[in-house]
Amino acid sequence: MDVEHVRYALEELRFLAEVPSEVIARLADAASLQRAASGSVIFREGTRNANLYLLRKGKVALDMKVPGRGSVRILTLGPGEMIGWSALLGEGKMTAGAVALDDSELVVIDSHGLLRLCESDHHFGFQIMRRMAAALAQRLVATRLQLLDLFADLPAGAAAPVRLEPGDGP
Amino acid sequence: MRDASRSAAAAGLRPWRTHTVRVREILAEVEGVATYDLAFRDESAGAAYRFAPGQFNMLYLPGAGECAISISEDRATSAGYRHTVRVAGNVTKTLTGLRPGDTLGLRGPFGTSWPITDCIGRDVVLVAGGIGLAPLRPAIGSLMRNARQFGRRHLLYGARSPESLLYWRQYEEWSQAGIRVHTTVDRADSRWTGHVGVATLLLERLDAIDARNAVLMCCGPEVMMRFTIAAALNRGFAPDRIWVSLERNMQCGVGLCGHCQMGGEFVCRDGPVFRYDRVAPFLDVEAF
Amino acid sequence: MNGHSGADAGQRFLHKDRFPCLLEQLEAMGYSVIGPTLDQHAIVYDRIRSVDDLPRGWTDEQQPGSYRVRRRTDDAWFGYVVGPHSWKGYLFPTPVVIARAAREGGDWEFKEADDAPPKFAFLGVRACEIAAIRVQDRVFLAESYVDPIYEGRRTRALIVAVNCEQAASTCFCPSMGTGPRCTSGFDLALTELSDGFVVEVGTAEGAALLATLDSSEASISQLRAAQAARRSASEQIERSLDTRGLRDLLMDNLEHPRWDETASRCLSCANCTMVCPTCFCGSVEEVSDLAGGRVERRRRWDSCFNIDFSYMNGGHVRDSIRSRYRQWLTHKLASWNDQFGTSGCVGCGRCITWCPSGIDLTEEVLAIRGDAPVSEGSS
Ligand SMILES: Cc1cc2nc3c(=O)[nH]c(=O)nc-3n(C[C@H](O)[C@H](O)[C@H](O)COP(=O)(O)OP(=O)(O)OC[C@H]3O[C@@H](n4cnc5c(N)ncnc54)[C@H](O)[C@@H]3O)c2cc1C
Ligand code: SF4
Ligand code: SF4
Repeated sequence: MDVEHVRYALEELRFLAEVPSEVIARLADAASLQRAASGSVIFREGTRNANLYLLRKGKVALDMKVPGRGSVRILTLGPGEMIGWSALLGEGKMTAGAVALDDSELVVIDSHGLLRLCESDHHFGFQIMRRMAAALAQRLVATRLQLLDLFADLPAGAAAPVRLEPGDGP
Repeated sequence: MRDASRSAAAAGLRPWRTHTVRVREILAEVEGVATYDLAFRDESAGAAYRFAPGQFNMLYLPGAGECAISISEDRATSAGYRHTVRVAGNVTKTLTGLRPGDTLGLRGPFGTSWPITDCIGRDVVLVAGGIGLAPLRPAIGSLMRNARQFGRRHLLYGARSPESLLYWRQYEEWSQAGIRVHTTVDRADSRWTGHVGVATLLLERLDAIDARNAVLMCCGPEVMMRFTIAAALNRGFAPDRIWVSLERNMQCGVGLCGHCQMGGEFVCRDGPVFRYDRVAPFLDVEAF
Repeated sequence: MNGHSGADAGQRFLHKDRFPCLLEQLEAMGYSVIGPTLDQHAIVYDRIRSVDDLPRGWTDEQQPGSYRVRRRTDDAWFGYVVGPHSWKGYLFPTPVVIARAAREGGDWEFKEADDAPPKFAFLGVRACEIAAIRVQDRVFLAESYVDPIYEGRRTRALIVAVNCEQAASTCFCPSMGTGPRCTSGFDLALTELSDGFVVEVGTAEGAALLATLDSSEASISQLRAAQAARRSASEQIERSLDTRGLRDLLMDNLEHPRWDETASRCLSCANCTMVCPTCFCGSVEEVSDLAGGRVERRRRWDSCFNIDFSYMNGGHVRDSIRSRYRQWLTHKLASWNDQFGTSGCVGCGRCITWCPSGIDLTEEVLAIRGDAPVSEGSS
């Protein structure tokens, strides 16, 4: 699997749309491609994991263990989305477990290598972190919507007396 | 004195004219939701009744009151009109006490409809949340017929949990008619292999779509619709090809009672289906 | 229509001694005459059977948040401005049965309203009130769905207007282009003089009615006296509302801090909407007999100031006074234009007078325009 393949895969990702090609080229140096068969575990909750994943194809679920409730599925991710952000931003300890629901393809990025790249080149680092921030903000907003439990006591379309602005910060 | 406006009124429609309809069949859907198949008792009234996908009726239970309910199938079943109702309060609760053969009142159809003809030659994305799939089901029916007129057709549907996905028995049939059905739920355990997360995420992921030329129709909780619109604009959908079905308190259904106003619009009459750019200035004003 | 050319041509003079004949004639024609009458503390509209029912020798004094009736120094019959009532009480009554349901042979049967109102003759309609009726005509009669109650009453009603000869401090009809002079929309329009009325004809019905009365051609001195009387109303008007660009001004300022300021004074009591002659919102309630087999659907006036007005499962759309006052003002002065091609305000000043907090919409608009608010009751 040559670097050109990886580069092509990265350029195709919506996550990296509008990222300059020289940034992608450098990212490709720290990345590789991986397949995950349906049902296979990508990483487990609570374990340390040094990789950041970008999903190319397929579907991946994030599950969290809740005492007394078992494994709760909190989010499913699709092509173009990022998995394992805590490898880059946290201590590398996974906050949820990831399992492939379909045969999937992922771009795997070594987070140590990526962090080193970011530190040595702040422009590059800014581009990457900006994408991360946007992706996390989007997920945060989606999580809030999910939290609102809009379909619980309210029929669809009822004016929930809650206001949340698209693009709200934390 | 006789004013000029009188001439226009001469042919005025009668707002309170209520038809007797009979419950033909009650179909349990998901928890708290059932579909009522209603037939006009008076055949000539039934024959004269015409509606378009997205329109609603006022269902009347004497003593309890009226509520606005969308017509949830794009054409009459053998003899009835379907209404999918979620128990929300007094009137909708009383409705659950009816049995096949019982009668109730119906006024309508009222309001605007989904822009089916605008979809010709374009990709179409329907985004529904919860019971919001009910007003969209007639649009799905229209998109299934003459399928070749339309581009790629997607339904993105979000519900609370796998058990509350409305009309699940029909997804297969819709898929076979070429509508790609993407469902997602807010809550699930790890036995559920479908999507988890809000429907806006599905929209953000949707690949097989020419967003710039596509039509998007959305019905669900208003908060969800605001986020869907934001995601759609972000994906490049044109504001004048995004349509939403809004909800407001309604007493009359015809723009006479004043309750459903939203700026210059009467939701019952100028809506419930609005082109987004027409209501954009109001949708984002708090408590307007 | 009467084909006279000059505005004064064809004006007649009806002596006050002959006025009872007008009332008798209206009764004979099958009309119920409704007009001004003194009801303890206010001049209100009610059944008029003789000239003694009129508020002879009484006037009203109005300020923001205050209304008082007071004895006049003369015996004028229509020597007041406007009271808390408006004609909508008769054309758009509350409560009113709009439909019925009855269980017959197990099935529900539905009937539309069987409103059988008398034919009304409205006596003493002011220019701003004619304008208000025109606004409600637009709402209830000119769209595809027509309100049957309003229609039944309105189409048979006769309007005998009486021009204002004085103004209240709260009046601003000239700003709204609705008064103080009655220029159209009446069957007959009267201007009161000490001994009689100068009468203008508006319609063939008005002309036919006038023809049955013992009137004389108005003399030039009577015409001039009437003109002077009407002019004194115009001259007394001190309040104004700048309507230039008003729709956009309000719709562009939905987040103006003034809404918060007003909300701190507004009690959300809904008085302003009840007294406003153009407000048309209503709610329907169910009234069943004990067995539940017979149900009346009764419509009552409702108000955007009532919290439940915007109720939907899960909450109220307009859950703050700020949002409700904003709804009211923007509807009156802005979105009404979008909906009906006319302002929802005719400048009668009732909402200013009857607001317990003395909130004055003309001041609110000034504040939003960014001009210094004028102090209360002045200007
Ligand atoms: C255009 C339109 C289409 C609708 N289509 C459907 C549908 O297909 N299926 C469905 O289950 N529901 C639908 N609804 C919502 C449904 O009208 C309300 O759930 C229903 O009015 C609740 O009445 P209730 O008496 O049971 O509740 P209560 O809480 O007792 O309501 C009391 C009154 O408040 C008003 N009200 C309460 N909630 C609403 C609301 N959400 N929207 C408008 N008025 C409300 C009504 O006047 C109602 O009679 C629709 C609403 C609108 C405006
Ligand atoms: S808004 Fe006030 S001044 Fe205007 S018509 Fe209504 S009551 Fe009169
Ligand atoms: S503006 Fe005045 S009259 Fe109107 S609701 Fe507020 S306090 Fe009452």
